[in-house]
Amino acid sequence: MLPKRLTRLFRNQLAGVFAALVVIFVISCFLSPYFFTPYNMLIIARALAFVGMITIAQSLLMIMGELDLSLGAIGGLCGVLGGIMMVQLNVEPFLAFTICLLYGAICGLANGLLVTGLGLNSLVVTIGMAGVYSGLNLVFTKGLAITDIPDKISFLGQGVHFGVPTPFIVMLALLAVLTVAMQKTPFGRYVYAIGNSAAAAKMLGIPVNRIRLVCFVIAGFCSSLAGMLMVARLGTAQPSIGEIWVMPSIAGSVIGGVATTGGIGSLGGAMIGATIIGVIQNIIVIFGVSPYWQSVVSGAIVVLAISFDAISRRYIKKEE
Amino acid sequence: MPFLEVRDIRKEYPGVVALNRVELSIALGRVHVLAGENGAGKSTLVKILTGVEAPNRGEVLIDGRNALEQHGLFDYIAYVPQELNLFPHMTVAENIFMPFNKTGVNRRLISISALYKAAERYIDRFRINARPDQLAKDIMVSDQQLVQIARASTHESFKVLILDEPTSSMTDREVQRLFEIIRGLRDSDHAVIFISHKLEEMFELGDEVTVLRNGEKVGHAAMGEVTEAELIKMMSGKDIDMDSVFRPIRPAGKRILEVRGLTGPRYEDVSFSLHEGEILGLAGLVGAGRSEAMQGMFGFLKPKAGEVLVDGKPWRLGDPSYSVAHGMLYLSESRKEHGILPLLSVRENIAISIFGDTATAYLISDARERQIVSDVIGTYQIKTSSMDKKILFLSGGNQQKVIIGRAMACHPRILIFDEPTKGIDVKTKVDIYGIMKQLAEQGMGIILVSSEMNELQKCTNRIIAMYHGRVNGEFVTERMGQQDLLGAMIGARSERNEVS
Repeated sequence: MLPKRLTRLFRNQLAGVFAALVVIFVISCFLSPYFFTPYNMLIIARALAFVGMITIAQSLLMIMGELDLSLGAIGGLCGVLGGIMMVQLNVEPFLAFTICLLYGAICGLANGLLVTGLGLNSLVVTIGMAGVYSGLNLVFTKGLAITDIPDKISFLGQGVHFGVPTPFIVMLALLAVLTVAMQKTPFGRYVYAIGNSAAAAKMLGIPVNRIRLVCFVIAGFCSSLAGMLMVARLGTAQPSIGEIWVMPSIAGSVIGGVATTGGIGSLGGAMIGATIIGVIQNIIVIFGVSPYWQSVVSGAIVVLAISFDAISRRYIKKEE
Repeated sequence: MPFLEVRDIRKEYPGVVALNRVELSIALGRVHVLAGENGAGKSTLVKILTGVEAPNRGEVLIDGRNALEQHGLFDYIAYVPQELNLFPHMTVAENIFMPFNKTGVNRRLISISALYKAAERYIDRFRINARPDQLAKDIMVSDQQLVQIARASTHESFKVLILDEPTSSMTDREVQRLFEIIRGLRDSDHAVIFISHKLEEMFELGDEVTVLRNGEKVGHAAMGEVTEAELIKMMSGKDIDMDSVFRPIRPAGKRILEVRGLTGPRYEDVSFSLHEGEILGLAGLVGAGRSEAMQGMFGFLKPKAGEVLVDGKPWRLGDPSYSVAHGMLYLSESRKEHGILPLLSVRENIAISIFGDTATAYLISDARERQIVSDVIGTYQIKTSSMDKKILFLSGGNQQKVIIGRAMACHPRILIFDEPTKGIDVKTKVDIYGIMKQLAEQGMGIILVSSEMNELQKCTNRIIAMYHGRVNGEFVTERMGQQDLLGAMIGARSERNEVS
């Protein structure tokens, strides 16, 4: 039916999701004149930066066949620890920032050790650990925000370069580095292999548990990076940081072609999925959807986006 | 008039014509063998016979009526796949009678006792060694196969049974049991389509045979009117000498591997040695503990006791990465679970082992990778239209070649082949025998775990028999009598078991 070259373009896994994003974007432009303005694009980009970093980490784990529901809590905890160090312990801000990244890695390591060492299911373990990390968060803050984050560090969260917020640039850099790692290094292939069949990977001599640990550590690192940048942006360390990041990270990855069972998908696809969710959440507010309906509408659109991708794949199969 | 008939069938997939001008005629009361190499189109034809796929061209007639229009007619055709497809955590009775609405089970509430009673009838009829309330995962593999067959026959209107390589995990006795059941079906006015690679079985059981090659029907004959050699020639297009031997001819070199008292969950006190340049067979019944012992030696499972020495030096146990890095590789018998990376392409499957050669600094060089992968595809004659094809689309035999080719890239010194030719056609089998012989002659030590006597006799220098987890005999292949090996496999102890 369609010309052959168009069909070949559609065969690319990402094409379906990307098309969905374009469609949603165009519809949004029609729904509100304020959507496609530099100011609004900035808002979207800034929110997307944080969810994006978590999504990148989550999709990495999902491709390997694991899940981490504690990434948001890790971000929140590390942000708070950073705030405490900078404000109450008077640690030099950039040093505190770096130490916090280390905390994130350690949290990731803890998750990884529980999954590999005890053979526990990662979904279940990380639900529990999310409780632990957010609980620790409350223990340290007693529920109060830590204010007066030094100005030295706020540029990281609030700065803008060529109209693009700094956190967004950091997220893009993270995406670039990890995408290269996934597509062009042996490590990346091993991650895909483990997601395909951990048993086969083991038979091949791939150090499955070691790679699992590394991925959990990377995920923890990304989460604390997001948490610290959020603190830098807000100028305060709120205990609630990170709560809203996890669900979109999983939904975005699935929309973007990462299977929950692992083995296929890409970080780029997951980011497109996260962008779809970000745009939807933005247009709902601008369009003036009643707050009571917002969650219904955003959920429904997510389902539509996933269906669009599934249907377009079936269409491609039929063409063949 | 034939009950099931297909005419002028053409089926295309992207880039490949799977079937072309195929016709097949199945009459009730006969066992019809469907033969052909892997990739010849048998699976595709079966999908058309069962209505799972529609042909691009051609007719499918069931009981004289057009099945492509009346899809309900396909209910007459029952298919038992090669891979076990039961619900492992449900009972035998439930497995036999699902889906309930097609098998006459009371629709509103299911009475468990009535279900078990009905199941008993099938258990008796198919001589299954299980109780109706046992979980499918807890019964023997050969009984699971029979439950699958029983399940296929519970459909109210079933008339034609298609069996896809049903004997690949069965011992001789179990095979005979199955054959009796098939003959019973034939004699009660059913038709059986029997797909197999084993020539002896074809001749023993079949009434007629249709041969496919490269998607076309190349021959049809009554079983009594065709010879083994003619069949092989039809299937592969070549004359293959079935009597040729693939035993490595160089005398075995120094001892490369020594195993002492290896003990683990399904094996006990296993001891043997392996030399450079030799192929050592590991014989035994299904469940004798051979795979478990080899997996223990390789490190996939950790043994409880015992030691392994390679070149006289102790080998670290329980660590497959160590084994692979130091030149010991294990090729599992379950290709789907332990062998291929199912969602990836042929290239990605082969490349996973060759990063030492393709990755410079840290990045993989696309060009180097394509070159090496294409070399492997050429060397092992892997049939695929492109290296980027998903590996699931390859035939079982070609998947096995990918697994072997990939293993070679690790430069192994000790290779363990666990049932490498299971479910693979004659020609590819011979290719694999040739590969093993060549590898041994290049100085590797090879262990071949196999349940096929023929294969063990053709390929090995020595054979070890295992029974119930213990070594029960060691033989020099050339000097051994088949009866002695069989005896050792089923537990007989005699002086002739010890190698001279």
